[in-house]
Amino acid sequence: MTYKTRNMAALRCVSVRLGRVCRCSNRIIASRRNLSEQKSSDENDKEEGTEKSTHFGFESINESEKTGKVHEVFSNVASKYDVMNDAMSLGVHRLWKDRFMQVLDPLPGTRLLDVAGGTGDIAFRFINWIKEKELQQKKASPGAEFRLNPLETDDSESAPEFPSAEDYLYSEQREDTTGTDDRKDSKVIICDINQSMLEVGKERAKKLGLEDVFSSPDVVWVTGNAEELPFPDNSVDAYTIAFGIRNVTHIEKVLCEAYRVLTPGGRFLCLEFSQVSNPLLSSVYDLYSFQVIPVLGELIASDWKSYQYLVESIRNFPNQEEFAEVIREAGFRMVSYENLTSGVAAIHSGFKI
Amino acid sequence: MAAHSRVFLPFRFAILKTPQILGVHTRFIPPQAENCIRISYNHGDRATLNGEEWTPPLYREHQPTSLFQKALLTVGSAAVAITNPHRHDMIAVLGETTGYYALIRIRDQMKADPVGQQILSERPRINTRTIDLEELRALPEGTFGKEYVNWLDRNDVTPDSRAPVKFVDDEELAYVIQRYREIHDLFHTLLGMPTNMLGECTVKMFEAVHTGLPMCAMGAVFGPIRLSSKQRWKLRNYYFPWAVRAGYSAKCLMNVYLERRFHEPLEELKADLNIPSPPHIPKSTDNNNSRLYRR
Repeated sequence: MTYKTRNMAALRCVSVRLGRVCRCSNRIIASRRNLSEQKSSDENDKEEGTEKSTHFGFESINESEKTGKVHEVFSNVASKYDVMNDAMSLGVHRLWKDRFMQVLDPLPGTRLLDVAGGTGDIAFRFINWIKEKELQQKKASPGAEFRLNPLETDDSESAPEFPSAEDYLYSEQREDTTGTDDRKDSKVIICDINQSMLEVGKERAKKLGLEDVFSSPDVVWVTGNAEELPFPDNSVDAYTIAFGIRNVTHIEKVLCEAYRVLTPGGRFLCLEFSQVSNPLLSSVYDLYSFQVIPVLGELIASDWKSYQYLVESIRNFPNQEEFAEVIREAGFRMVSYENLTSGVAAIHSGFKI
Repeated sequence: MAAHSRVFLPFRFAILKTPQILGVHTRFIPPQAENCIRISYNHGDRATLNGEEWTPPLYREHQPTSLFQKALLTVGSAAVAITNPHRHDMIAVLGETTGYYALIRIRDQMKADPVGQQILSERPRINTRTIDLEELRALPEGTFGKEYVNWLDRNDVTPDSRAPVKFVDDEELAYVIQRYREIHDLFHTLLGMPTNMLGECTVKMFEAVHTGLPMCAMGAVFGPIRLSSKQRWKLRNYYFPWAVRAGYSAKCLMNVYLERRFHEPLEELKADLNIPSPPHIPKSTDNNNSRLYRR
């Protein structure tokens, strides 16, 4: 793929010289224009100067325009997003997301950053998973079967916790909670560049009753760009991005940001449409994508173009192996992927080790 | 395209080239009309899917579609339109996908008439930018223009709410159906029908007979499903027979430059166009009609 070839090679050269430092800590990516050699017959070098063009579906646009166009697409589709997902994938996307959460298998106390998680599908599954896990932990705590109420534990958690004097006195000391991991609260931060998607997500959260103050996993909704996350370094234990990385302008930047905000040992997990390798299935899938999905978009959301963009952007995205390579280039180790529905979707996983 | 697809490309060609009917085809070649607005696209930018022919858009908002997609759109839009009549864009899509032959017939009728030819060459549009509503409001009562503006205000509609044409694969026919959509409101004014479901069914019946568009016929046949039995009784006994008569007797309204006749008194215009007045439904006592409703 054009966006990756020269840049990553140059990046690798520089970072090898700098030693085994996080390859993303040097912002060489930002000056990709300096690294790339002049193309011989570059029709993109028009009066805009050396602004690179990227793909928006099968259309070629300038990089600076892509964020705006993607934003527009998602503002248009926000209200019908979940209905369309069900209609297009015939409900299978729910199974994909359930499997995604199974692969992540978070323990209570995990801080999750869900990027491009607008309407909250992954976040809600995370919350339910943590609650289920906590319930299991309570049941499994020693002496559970001998108590009248097996869910009751020895420590006094039954009453709602009002902050005591010590909490106020020692709250600053509690910033560094590495020693007391089991008392750390689970947290999910949902970050999306588009406010309309977040609004839809908040409505859904209210409807599902996940907004109570005393529920265990904390939920935070943040507007932000995946290429420039408004979070400090080493602040989350898991980073997930489901069906979002295809829409970003610079995939390497997003991966570098993911690397930055993850704590050492943290996990990067990505669910995305990928390439179907089986040729028969692939023909059926292509036919379905190009003939049926835009029609569904027109019928349900009155928006042909956004869904045409969707299926084209899937075709333009690198395949499983190439994407795994890009993730490795960003510094993640133990990168692996799992195909879902014969490659229609794939879960890529990497660790910051 | 991703590297792996080059390995399978020959196989894909074999599968996708044979059923031409399923691919995006270039059967509809735009006529060499002098005044058609052509938009030039840089074909080099757009990648072809699996080597298929990519038909360039023939007009702004044109969305090239294959026959299969048109079939799917027809069925889907009909289903959505009947379950949710507020989706006007679905009725529009239904008209575009099913109206090819009817539009050719209308276009030929327009070409055979001098005013129709003028409309086809000038391509007037009806929206708030081209029609000065304030000027129409200033016209005396009883004129076509004044009645039109009153009707717009009474029913709280604006001429800007017409969806643009997307799925007609011929640029002149696209204008014809756009023109039909825009003078639909003027039909309402001429027939004196409001925009409730009853009025819309009546106007659809008139248009079905007058223009021959399948979408209008479908609307007239399936629209009354959403009405009460009393309204259906009125339709069957008064409004539909009148609409059919009016549809046959009226002069071809696509050949009338309606925007230039706003100053004419409405009754004279209707007489000129052979459009009879709406029927008067007698307000008889409930006893008389209740037996008839339950028939």
